[in-house]
Amino acid sequence: MSLPDDENDSMSLNSQLPAHLFGDLLDSIIIDVASECHRAARLGLDRNLELEEEEMRLSAEARAMVVDATNNGEVNGKYIVDIFGQTHPSIANDIFECMNCGQSIMAGRFAPHLEKCMGKGRKARLKARRSSRLAQNRSARGSSVSVHSQYSSTSQLSNNTPGASGEGYSNAIYEDPYTKF
Amino acid sequence: MRTSVNRPPTPDAVDTQAKDLSLQDIISIKLIESGEKDRLMELLRERLVECGWKDEMKSLCRQYIKKKGRNNVTVDDLVHAITPKGRASIPDSIKAELLQRIRSFLASASL
Repeated sequence: MSLPDDENDSMSLNSQLPAHLFGDLLDSIIIDVASECHRAARLGLDRNLELEEEEMRLSAEARAMVVDATNNGEVNGKYIVDIFGQTHPSIANDIFECMNCGQSIMAGRFAPHLEKCMGKGRKARLKARRSSRLAQNRSARGSSVSVHSQYSSTSQLSNNTPGASGEGYSNAIYEDPYTKF
Repeated sequence: MRTSVNRPPTPDAVDTQAKDLSLQDIISIKLIESGEKDRLMELLRERLVECGWKDEMKSLCRQYIKKKGRNNVTVDDLVHAITPKGRASIPDSIKAELLQRIRSFLASASL
């Protein structure tokens, strides 16, 4: 340390020395961590590791099954397994009452039922037209003016332009159930 | 024991020790002898456990082990697998704290 060379070196080293020493400490600690994990792995101490392997295998299987199921779900019937291992029927089978017509409907069949029930389709339009005329005659002139105006306007339209009336009609019908409530 | 053909005869031990030890070596020896190195290691270990760094490294190891298979892994593999991420993910506060302590040790030791 008395030599001038050493002093020059020490000036430049001193700036790097703390970082260098810190790096050494860190390397030792990293080696310790790696050694610990290596030991745990080789001795099979980490039960979790095997569990995770199991889970990975199962999830890979389930994923493969889902991919198959999306292609031929109907063929497999009701046995589609999701990633949690649960199965559920491909058509939802909760039953409840339709708010429009009062029938008890299965959840999976509710959308098509609503289409018919609320008048999207051709048959429904005829049915609704008939029922709307009945509603017009049945309900008193003063009550629920909104219903009247919509029905009267659409029934006039329907005579002239079937195409346009279809649109207007379905709009009226869709709004109608809400006013009924 | 095989020796290099051109190696000069070994000089006396006393002279070697005085001249060939770099400043770095001297500091290292002082660090160890005074017990400061152990204290620093313990401090660093503690900090790294607190901040979750050790758990991150262990999880990295587990991922690597899962990939390679439990019985095909060496310690060396693991060290190489985690060192880059390990060095990079040290929180700045911990690094600063340790560097500060090292610097103050250097200051006290050089005087």
